[in-house]
Amino acid sequence: MTERPPDWTTGEPLLNVTTCARCGNHWYLPSVHCPVCSSADHDVAPAGGGGLCVAVTRVHVRGDDGAGVLGLGLVELDEGPVVMGVVHDEGLAPGDRARIEFRHDGPEGALVPSFGREG
Amino acid sequence: MTALLTGVGVTPFGRQPGPDSVEWQTTAADLALDDAGVDPEAVDALLTGYSTVDGHLMPANLFAERFGIRPSVAFGMNVGGATGLAMLAQAVQLVESGAARHVLVVAGENRASGQSRATSTKVLAQVGHARYEVPLGGTVPAYYALLASRYLWTYGLEADALASLPVQMRVHAARKAGAQFQKPVTVVDVLESRPVAEPLRLLDCCPVSDGGAAFVVSSGRTSERSLVVSGTGQAHRHQHLSALEAGTSGAALAAQRALSEAGVSWVDVDVFGIYDSFSITVALLLEELGLTPPGRAGAYARAGAFEVDGRYPMNTHGGLLSYGHCGVGGGMAHLAEVATQLRHERGAAQVADCEVGYVHADGGVLSAHVGVVLQRADR
Repeated sequence: MTERPPDWTTGEPLLNVTTCARCGNHWYLPSVHCPVCSSADHDVAPAGGGGLCVAVTRVHVRGDDGAGVLGLGLVELDEGPVVMGVVHDEGLAPGDRARIEFRHDGPEGALVPSFGREG
Repeated sequence: MTALLTGVGVTPFGRQPGPDSVEWQTTAADLALDDAGVDPEAVDALLTGYSTVDGHLMPANLFAERFGIRPSVAFGMNVGGATGLAMLAQAVQLVESGAARHVLVVAGENRASGQSRATSTKVLAQVGHARYEVPLGGTVPAYYALLASRYLWTYGLEADALASLPVQMRVHAARKAGAQFQKPVTVVDVLESRPVAEPLRLLDCCPVSDGGAAFVVSSGRTSERSLVVSGTGQAHRHQHLSALEAGTSGAALAAQRALSEAGVSWVDVDVFGIYDSFSITVALLLEELGLTPPGRAGAYARAGAFEVDGRYPMNTHGGLLSYGHCGVGGGMAHLAEVATQLRHERGAAQVADCEVGYVHADGGVLSAHVGVVLQRADR
């Protein structure tokens, strides 16, 4: 059983990027083998937290009746992979430099990545 | 051995309280078997799509008992919206291997009336990653909205860029009995409909429906109306949006595999059925397939390219956006419509001289792709 490195899903304020030792591919979601070359030899390291915002949405219709409007976004990390997070900065738009913070805005106060404009 | 599509059946879609999921499936199965001229007793293999309302462990056995058949092969399948075409691909394999003579492929669900909208939204949101996406609070429309946001930004488009696609689907649906929505809509109606997940608005999103659909795949013709399934192709490159490679979702790969097996290219295809869960879905698929240039699917719709007499007649039943979406059966209605066109039985909405059709479905967030080439047996 592969041990899962700590990250925001385990309550640590960081987000990991995996790098394939064979082909150099970078990815975000846990995967036993590299999706490009199938190597199982890879390294996990925390991302720097900066990137380019490539998408934002404001979600009006949600699973929980009565829940407010939710901002979500995609940020292409400087390391390469695209990650999803909530958006705390309403001014954030695709094309902006983004900075990832970690906030207790998830279910029951769980830690989640949250995006805003850099600087 | 060549596999033939001998029968198709699609019920009306809409909010139609009463029947449960299996009852929609039995209704659709009777339609398809009647269409094929095949007796239920002759069905020796059965493939059944999942129902989110039922959530049953053994959907094929559940259906077989209720329908009253005892096939020698039976199994359920789950690849989201691509399930119907994936079942068709497996049915072709069963026939071509000699394992079955008549395969019944069936799906149906009381998705609109069998559960609350909140439940439906929550169930479908599970296509998100359980640890890395679902806790953020997204929904399926939210995931597609992110794709739409990236698309508009990438090509420098305004919010109205996709609106002509749902407008065209509604035009088609007005000419199709059984469609959930037939009242014409305009680009302004789309842009003024309430926001679901910006930039997607209500009319950019397919409805949730009750209904069913079924196919019969056979080892030989049962009538002159039988069609050849000349190619199938699949691609499964990711499950979650956070693992999607933009522009290479697998759609083109699945299509090329299907076209190659059929020995045809896009210029040979006369009629199309392309999965359209959202306006952005069909735009991304059309562009990755190479049918329209990047960023131009909406402009092509505005110019009439997807009309019955357009360059790419597409979803002439109204698609998921207007005929409706009852889950697995939703993606099967595209193929049934293309089959009806290839049989030259579509009346006033008939595509002229059509001999070859292509159908594409995706499940999840552009995650599971299946392409199917159908053609007239006399081609």
